[in-house]
Amino acid sequence: MKRRKFLGAAGSSVAVACYSQWLHAQTNGVLIVDVLPFSGPLAGIGRLSDMGAKIALSERQQRAGSLQVERMVLDSEGNPARAVRKVIEAMEQRKAVLFTGEVISAAALSISKEVAKVGGVYITAVGADEVTGADCSTSTFRYSVPTFGAIEQTVRPLAKAMPQAKRWYTITPQVVFGEGMLANAKRVFQELGIEHVGNTYHSLQDREFSGFLTNASAARPDVLLLLNYAGQLQACIRQAANFGLKGRVTLLAAWTTGLYEYHALGADLMEGVYTGAQYWHTLDTPGNRNFVKQSAVMFKETPDHSMALAYSCTRLLLDGIERAKGADPAAIIRSLEGYKYEGVTGEEEVRAFDHQVMKAYYLLKGKSKSQMKDKDDFVDVVSGGKSFVDEKSSLCKRQ
Amino acid sequence: MTVYLFQALNGVGLGMIYFLIAAGLSIVFGLLHFVNFAHGAFYMLGAYFCLQALRMGLDFWTALWLVPLVVGGLALLLERVLVRRTYRMAHMYQILITLGLGLVIQEICIIVWGTEALNVSPPESLSSVVFFGDFGYPSYRLFVISLATMLTFVLWLALEKTRLGALLRAGSQSVEMVALLGVNVSVLFAFAFAFSAGLAAVGGVLAAPLRGAEPFMAQEALSIAFVAVVIGGMGRYSGALVASILIGLTQSLMSSLWPMGANLMIFAAAAAILVFRPNGLMGRV
Amino acid sequence: MNHILNGPVTRVALCSGLALVLLPLVTGSASMSIEIVVFATAVLGANLLLGFTGLMSFAQGAFFGVGAYVAGLLRVEVDAGMLAVIVASGLAGAVASAVVGWISIRRQGIYFVMLTLAFAQLFYFLAYAFPGITGGENGLQGVSRPSLALGPFEIAPVTSNTGYYIFAASLFLILSMAVARVIHSPFGQVLLAIRENERRASATGYDVRVFKIIAFAIAGALAGIAGALQAMFVGLASISNVEILMSQEILMMSIIGGANSLAGALVGSGFVVAVSSVLSTWWPRWLLLLGLILMVVVLYFPGGLVGAARSLVARLKSGRPAPSSKGGLR
Repeated sequence: MKRRKFLGAAGSSVAVACYSQWLHAQTNGVLIVDVLPFSGPLAGIGRLSDMGAKIALSERQQRAGSLQVERMVLDSEGNPARAVRKVIEAMEQRKAVLFTGEVISAAALSISKEVAKVGGVYITAVGADEVTGADCSTSTFRYSVPTFGAIEQTVRPLAKAMPQAKRWYTITPQVVFGEGMLANAKRVFQELGIEHVGNTYHSLQDREFSGFLTNASAARPDVLLLLNYAGQLQACIRQAANFGLKGRVTLLAAWTTGLYEYHALGADLMEGVYTGAQYWHTLDTPGNRNFVKQSAVMFKETPDHSMALAYSCTRLLLDGIERAKGADPAAIIRSLEGYKYEGVTGEEEVRAFDHQVMKAYYLLKGKSKSQMKDKDDFVDVVSGGKSFVDEKSSLCKRQ
Repeated sequence: MTVYLFQALNGVGLGMIYFLIAAGLSIVFGLLHFVNFAHGAFYMLGAYFCLQALRMGLDFWTALWLVPLVVGGLALLLERVLVRRTYRMAHMYQILITLGLGLVIQEICIIVWGTEALNVSPPESLSSVVFFGDFGYPSYRLFVISLATMLTFVLWLALEKTRLGALLRAGSQSVEMVALLGVNVSVLFAFAFAFSAGLAAVGGVLAAPLRGAEPFMAQEALSIAFVAVVIGGMGRYSGALVASILIGLTQSLMSSLWPMGANLMIFAAAAAILVFRPNGLMGRV
Repeated sequence: MNHILNGPVTRVALCSGLALVLLPLVTGSASMSIEIVVFATAVLGANLLLGFTGLMSFAQGAFFGVGAYVAGLLRVEVDAGMLAVIVASGLAGAVASAVVGWISIRRQGIYFVMLTLAFAQLFYFLAYAFPGITGGENGLQGVSRPSLALGPFEIAPVTSNTGYYIFAASLFLILSMAVARVIHSPFGQVLLAIRENERRASATGYDVRVFKIIAFAIAGALAGIAGALQAMFVGLASISNVEILMSQEILMMSIIGGANSLAGALVGSGFVVAVSSVLSTWWPRWLLLLGLILMVVVLYFPGGLVGAARSLVARLKSGRPAPSSKGGLR
């Protein structure tokens, strides 16, 4: 009996699986598709991004101008090939042409190409430079600041604030992104006359950084520049603190993923640590004040980095649809090129030649626990600004 | 020079934690001939339960003995309900079942604690840094090394000098003999399984302040543990110890010389040993 | 001629052919069907190794990845034609697999499995170590589909999803028939003998090692071709192809479908892909259910879904409890 039941369940689940696809046949108004990781190691970011996108929709009552908007969500499962397959499927099943999302650069780059093939629109906030660099395309827009800006807006201001700190050591993940960060860092070091006393590469699998940190410590740097991110960055900071490096060396983490990292590490660990960030919830701009309020109302949460990025991407797409008065991708692209608006970081503009959104990147400094006004008040925003590769030096050669 | 000394110290510390995980795996494979691909999950549960205990107001020292007991109890339950059905199965199927089990436990941890890595602070008394000249070494890590060493010694004593230990060792040679001696083999198996889980959990509790608790730490721990057991020799606890320390040392020292190479070397070494010395460096199976 | 028409190869051809025609209709999606067929090709190899030769290899994912990278490189650098790409990825997969097999089979049981695991990890690190070739964490981007043409005549418009599905499905059909031919040959008989009792097979005078290595090579070729198909489908040779997770997924599909049956490849792949696709829209924690399903299948349905279906059919036919679904040729 057990076997038959199981077989029946197996068979019917497959059938249901497929028929439920057919149920989605209707399109209400304009369809936008959001690709996010809801399972797998990046699920946390997926959940937060989803919340940000929902805020963008709800503040306009699910409309772009007079048009009703339907948002479909695809689980990329943290697997680029699967994400692309689902995107292809959405294009085939629902004739989708408007896409946002993704967290993994490999997936975003591929989705960018697929969307370009159908002449659609894709707005993303992933980290790879290639999105608006060597692999830029007419269909793709990028909201996040690339490595150039991340380094410019962290290393320069910190170097200026600490003119006596002449010895810098870098820890770099040995991946394409890490190399990009390092190349930019070296360039700025040279311009500012900073002595680059050493660099350590590590792989993406490393969890134990004590060896690398001991190495770094041996070179007696003034500043330890961490070019890694996510779980590895957290391990680095935690272990740097454990090994007593925090008091003797200034830590700068150039690429962080925001509030939830601070919660994971805690105020004690982050005190005195400088970080670079795409966003912080205390930014005093009309766009951000509104966003924070919406977040409190809808989710009772302080918005973090992933929420803000997803919110901005979705908002940009909705603005595009509204301005183009329709879902025609070519019209949306035209309407977005050169578009200036009030975003969460203040005035933001979509640059026409590479579709990069010009927004600020910030340098943050961790506060001590006693200075925190509330449970999320981890940092002082030291500085912020916009730095982007100019058209001449850009690797983006479109049109 | 001090740098290398420190790297070596780190390596030993790391190795000791790996050993706690590998020891359990070694016992289970040696005695039960059971391949447990969910062993890393006990390590992970150790870390998560430690986090939870601290959140519930208990202190680290209580967690250090309470959590392994809880995890051991859980393992006992699992053994009764699921694992004992698989003893007679081919290793392949044991691997597949425990693979599924590992997935289930991982997802349950995500449901309860979320996907992000969570921080666990070391106890106040061990939050200081001991300075040797210019280099600081966390007192917590020194504690980990000492405790793990002590545990290893206690384990060795238990295995060599107690009747239970003798039974475990005899059992990994021949279960039939042990049964003929009048020992209730199924109770022995259950105990061994629970004990190995408890050991891994101790590793998890100790590792939590070092790495935090995150749902994918099980996979990472499992790979290293298997490599340690393979290099050291299945069923050979001293071999697992030597191998774990070697792995820890390799990881630490290579990070100065060739960071990318560390993991590569470890797996290549494991492959080489599997091929040329299948009984491991010190195994005799 | 008669023998061929009535033989098991024809049976496989007809059953698979029917399933492949129905698949896109049942799933309603050409792209999902393509993914199912792609994985089924890799699982075919896993079944050959696991179900028929008794070897559980954790390295199938690595060869899948190798095939994807080879296909990607050939397309991006040399704009190679479809035939060249498929043949090259198959060859690459076969060679890599043969090497891994040659070393791994020196040990048995759990040690053998560990060796394949170690090699899978090695491939993963190698992929990261040569970003110039593999694209590192970004993967190999921009893999386009070559047209399937003989001179000026286009055989199938593979740029459309339906066209690509027809191509992939036909390729899978041909490969299934080839594997069926291999299974139902003296070579296949030896593989089964090895699975049942290796020492006896060896005592009968067969060089067991050679047979195992050939089985590895065939499985590797299948995985490599599957990887190439995927790379050309999504336009990307992703580094996650060489992760252990990929090998685990292939093994899961193999077991759930039924490792000792060729039909199990399509069934297992179809089941896992379809169900995970749907589950992921309802509950982000669908991996938990997949883990449970795996455990249930191993405990109660050692022959997988196909095995269970067969015993059900047998029981219904004879009204008596069905014979064991393990063993024997399928």
